[in-house]
Amino acid sequence: MGSNEHTTVHTPSQEPSSSSEFTTFMRAYQDMVFSTAARLAGNDAQAEDIAQEVFIKAFENFGHLRASPAAGGWLKTVATNLSLNYLTRYRKRWRLFSEESNLPETQVPDTVLANLGTDQRHALIEDTMRRLPPHQRVPLVLYHFEDLSYQEIAQRLGVSLAKIKTDIARARAAMLPMLESLGIDGAGE
Amino acid sequence: MSDRLETLVGRALREAPLRRAPPSLESRVLREIGRRAALPWWRRSFSRWPRPARVGFALACGSIIVAVLGAWPWTEGGALADAAAWSAGSWLLWARPALILVDVARQLDSALTGAIPPEWLYAALAAGAILYAALFGLGAAAYQTLYLKTSSAGESRS
Repeated sequence: MGSNEHTTVHTPSQEPSSSSEFTTFMRAYQDMVFSTAARLAGNDAQAEDIAQEVFIKAFENFGHLRASPAAGGWLKTVATNLSLNYLTRYRKRWRLFSEESNLPETQVPDTVLANLGTDQRHALIEDTMRRLPPHQRVPLVLYHFEDLSYQEIAQRLGVSLAKIKTDIARARAAMLPMLESLGIDGAGE
Repeated sequence: MSDRLETLVGRALREAPLRRAPPSLESRVLREIGRRAALPWWRRSFSRWPRPARVGFALACGSIIVAVLGAWPWTEGGALADAAAWSAGSWLLWARPALILVDVARQLDSALTGAIPPEWLYAALAAGAILYAALFGLGAAAYQTLYLKTSSAGESRS
């Protein structure tokens, strides 16, 4: 967890101990919530907004979340739903302005990147994923990170099963050159 | 090939660790919780209102609707009275408010078109459309220039 500055909230309805308990709770889950939102939204600023909303909802339900073993799953579900809502709401609204066209193509150097450090490799994978168009990135993330089936993703996104399979296949194909450059070639499988 | 690709991508993504949340997230959340908690109850979402206030609000709204639909003078004559009377005794009772709204809109329309020359109305509509398009274009340009390029540049740097 990051070394976050601490702001204590004292409201008439919450005990200080409850507030610090919530801060501890938030620190335990904030990376997971932010990762989920960032991978789906493809935009760190929006992901932070989404993560903020997730934790405000968590605070409103903290009475039963604080002792629930399913709190992580609850947070992940809310983060996923809010991210998908964000994508549905804003991407449709601003499709005319084609924000995808502003993202440069993924640059994979000709030289092999296999000797990059672990952090750099992971950053490159995340960056490549972020640059995928949303209609490819979102199903890919739901499939590989949220463990949803093709059918579930199609239902969730309201598109045909065939389109989901095609989009995920294209997303994987788009990531292949970068993975091969990293020396991840599946030879060990 | 597709199975190998699925395995390859799946393995690479599974190995990716969680992204680290920005250091500002925690303070942002706590600040927003504090701000919302400081709001008076009537400025919070309706679901957070005290139960008596919610019940009172619903009763007040219901009373206003009943008063408007039942006692407004324009329900006394014209096509509305015919439609309302017809719907009152039929299975279309549920459509009565919609019929009333349609009739009010129709009466408003005839009053406006009778009082204002049509050229003025067309000119006002055209001016409204032009202003809307200009505002839309300006908003789009501002969004693309100030927001998208800024966030793209910020993410490229990070």
